[in-house]
Amino acid sequence: MASSTETHIEDNDPLDDPPLDFAATESFLRQAMTMILEDAVKKATDVRQKVCEWHPPEELKELLDLELRDGGESEARILELCRDAIRYSVKPTHPHFFNQLFAGLEPYSLVASFITEALKPSLYTYEVSPVFTLMENAVLKKLIQTVGWEEGGDGLFNAGGSMSNMYAMNLARYRHFPEIKELGNSAAPRLAVFTSQECHYSISKAAALMGIGTKNVFVVPSDKRGKMIPSTLEEQIKSIKSEGGVPFIVNATAGTTVLGAFDPIDEIADICEKYKLWLHVDACWGGAVLMSNKHKLLMKGIHRVDSVAWNPHKMLMACLQCSAFLVRDKSRLLQRCHSARASYLFQQDKFYDLSYDTGDKSVQCSRKPDAFKFWLMWKALGASELEQRVDRALAMARYLADEITKREGFRLLMEPEYANVCFWYIPPSLRDLPDGPEFQEKLHNVAPVVKERMMKKGSMMVGYQPHRGQANFFRMVVISPQVSRQDMDFVLDEIHSLGKDL
Amino acid sequence: MEATTGDLTDPLINHADGQLFLHEAFKIIVEEVLCKGTDVKEKVCEWREPEELARLLDLELREKGEPQENLLQRVRDVAKYSIKTSHPRFFNQQFAGVDYHSLAGRFLSEALNTNLFTYEVAPVFVLMEAEVLRGLRELVGWTEGDGLFCPGGSTSNMYAMNLARYRLYPEVKSRGLWSLPQLTIFTSPESHYSVKKGAAFMGFGMDNVILVKGAAPFLVSCTSGTTVQGAFDPLHRIADICDKHKLWLHVDAAWGGSVLFSKKHRHLMKGVHRANSVAWNPHKMLVAGLQCSVLLLKDTTDLLKKCHCANATYLFQQDKFYDVNLDVGDKSVQCSRKVDCLKLWVMWKAVGSAGLEQRVDKAFLHARYVVDQMKKREGFQLLREPEFVNVCFWFIPPSLRGKEKNADYQNRLAKVAPVIKERMMKQGTMMVGYQPLGDRVNFFRITILSPLVSQKDMDFFLDEIERLGNDL
Repeated sequence: MASSTETHIEDNDPLDDPPLDFAATESFLRQAMTMILEDAVKKATDVRQKVCEWHPPEELKELLDLELRDGGESEARILELCRDAIRYSVKPTHPHFFNQLFAGLEPYSLVASFITEALKPSLYTYEVSPVFTLMENAVLKKLIQTVGWEEGGDGLFNAGGSMSNMYAMNLARYRHFPEIKELGNSAAPRLAVFTSQECHYSISKAAALMGIGTKNVFVVPSDKRGKMIPSTLEEQIKSIKSEGGVPFIVNATAGTTVLGAFDPIDEIADICEKYKLWLHVDACWGGAVLMSNKHKLLMKGIHRVDSVAWNPHKMLMACLQCSAFLVRDKSRLLQRCHSARASYLFQQDKFYDLSYDTGDKSVQCSRKPDAFKFWLMWKALGASELEQRVDRALAMARYLADEITKREGFRLLMEPEYANVCFWYIPPSLRDLPDGPEFQEKLHNVAPVVKERMMKKGSMMVGYQPHRGQANFFRMVVISPQVSRQDMDFVLDEIHSLGKDL
Repeated sequence: MEATTGDLTDPLINHADGQLFLHEAFKIIVEEVLCKGTDVKEKVCEWREPEELARLLDLELREKGEPQENLLQRVRDVAKYSIKTSHPRFFNQQFAGVDYHSLAGRFLSEALNTNLFTYEVAPVFVLMEAEVLRGLRELVGWTEGDGLFCPGGSTSNMYAMNLARYRLYPEVKSRGLWSLPQLTIFTSPESHYSVKKGAAFMGFGMDNVILVKGAAPFLVSCTSGTTVQGAFDPLHRIADICDKHKLWLHVDAAWGGSVLFSKKHRHLMKGVHRANSVAWNPHKMLVAGLQCSVLLLKDTTDLLKKCHCANATYLFQQDKFYDVNLDVGDKSVQCSRKVDCLKLWVMWKAVGSAGLEQRVDKAFLHARYVVDQMKKREGFQLLREPEFVNVCFWFIPPSLRGKEKNADYQNRLAKVAPVIKERMMKQGTMMVGYQPLGDRVNFFRITILSPLVSQKDMDFFLDEIERLGNDL
């Protein structure tokens, strides 16, 4: 180790200087923010601008000058680099971005994000994050109330809905076989997970990560409207049990990814009660209906479940990421399941009430205060505005579905239950073909080309996918209160315009 | 449900209002968080008991919204009562300080609000992430490899365990652990607790993180920069053992990884190129801002993707019009994944590797200075000579000095740090962590990394501990 004499000799770069000083960089930050507000916020939400400026990867690499070098660059150059990053990025806040289950800009949530970035808190202890600890508690409490658990519950915000789903599986496993925490899966018999065929793929990823195995995830078929069939669920449970497997959790989905379908929670809850299984509802996408008096019936029975995953960063437009995990438990199950009681972080002799140190509920160590993004926007808008937005999104989806039904060349997959509107565009050249393998194959090739064209033009972004052996169809997702009827009309016009020659 | 077409004709929201709020709020953030939050004349924290703070913040979520003036006041309140983690006297955790280029990158990431699963929604960031990972791998000593950004080092460590397990027993992905021998993970007692949490989560069981007779070891997780003492495991020697027994070598360099930027100090991680995986958190010593955590892999066989993929057809269509290998999402266990590379990239561009090296070297100098000063001052007792920038020490108030032989010495010493901590927080002058370790009673751990600190802050820190604890 260097001795104290060595320190003085080498110490030409004085330890006396305050190296970084805010005054010096304030101008840079202000310029950066002006640019962000102008280019990444204002222009990005302007319908007259492009949604995306497509470049193939090799070309984009050159445009961006990504290389990291030994020497630094001037502030002007840094601002330029940021400007380019904005320019070539896809704008999910654009009114014509319908590609994913998130969209639009929520300025109050964005302000909360900015505050979070400036403060850089980590949510493991009250001492480091007093404000955000309390905020997370308040938001969870409100969400639990909204779900309808009168006796209260527990929860936390996670780095994504996939993680929330994993937590549900972990808690269910722990409740059934608490010794697994110390001894591992081999201390228990072969566990079985049940989920619908329309569920999110995170269920499968969770089973793999948690050592349960994807083969032990039993997929229950859905009906034509994409909903899990409860009678089949029960048959499968009985069947697995007879083989010696141990069912321990059923994952129901409220708002499936592609179709936006809602599993029948009440009936599934009956079955789970009968067989004493943990019922988790993946409401990452559909949870927002709970804000709406008109639509919350879609999640009837939700108060009976053990856990809920709900992502306000989807329909409610909080900034990514904002994913809540709620559990109907007052026995500190989350804490007991996940704790490692690290003494460098969760000292037991602190001078404040230790129940405010929530970090050991999580599998993460440092954790971002994502709940704050939702708290600030709720304060700004109020529950009634949030309800209005949900109602409007669904009304807009309804409008779109009606228009599709009226227009030639457009065919709806199914009547939407939520905000997913799935349909085919059939170009004129295919309209007279009889339904059959040739038609299906040609139809399958339409969406990818239309997608390519829309992206290269930058006019909009709508997703497509194959599903259950059907030809590629578009999935329009309606979220943002920024969009109006004209935008829905535009989507259909544009698809036709881009695809009519196919 | 019928569409009420009247309502649908116009957008529901007014962008001008939102943009005005953004503008006004940013001014407050600059003033209250960035200016005041880094000013030594201001407090590090404004302590309040939880119930009182809950009242002050008016947490309740209601039916109706609020006007902008109210909201701006709320922004002020949040800033006021939050800990100023960039303050020059915040030494509590393994992150501190602020880099303004990185901060701009963070604001930008939030504003763009996109997801890193496909090239189609995040073209810039897919390419950027790849470039940043390449740069970091180069520092590890790998000319090729794989990796991704994770939501924290705990996740990176879990990924390493998952990959090691999958490489050895690929059938575990579909069949689970039921048909396998009991797998064990080796790690040191000083390793981060995420190894244990990960082991529980992934079905190994916490007990199997230490050698169990008759079991099948498959992974060694060693640490470069342990959490409390900042120790570096001897990587070459461990790599020899792993090579011999064909074990996956994971290096948790979440905290210490940044020494790789420093020509002077990188020797602490000599041998790291022999590892299979490295976890490294630039949000720690490089001041990139939470979260910024990478997992780097030596593998070039697409192991990460094979291990984690679920091939969801609604997201990873195989008939896209661009090279679908750019859709990196299936490498992850997450679905939506934040853009965490931009903050590091902007900073790296701004200061260069040389600038980051300087930062690391400076932190070491500060730590050295503090250690030297402690040796000169009565009442400061080092746990050991630090290897890194964690300086662990006891403060022994005058009343206890020379009384080491007393029967109740340890008990009394254990009570010193908690009281000093309470006092510093209630006065808001600084924040330093303390903890027990093994049979050693509560001692302070100061971690020095912020580019904002100067020698004056080091002197202040020592003076303040004395001031707060002399009467104990």
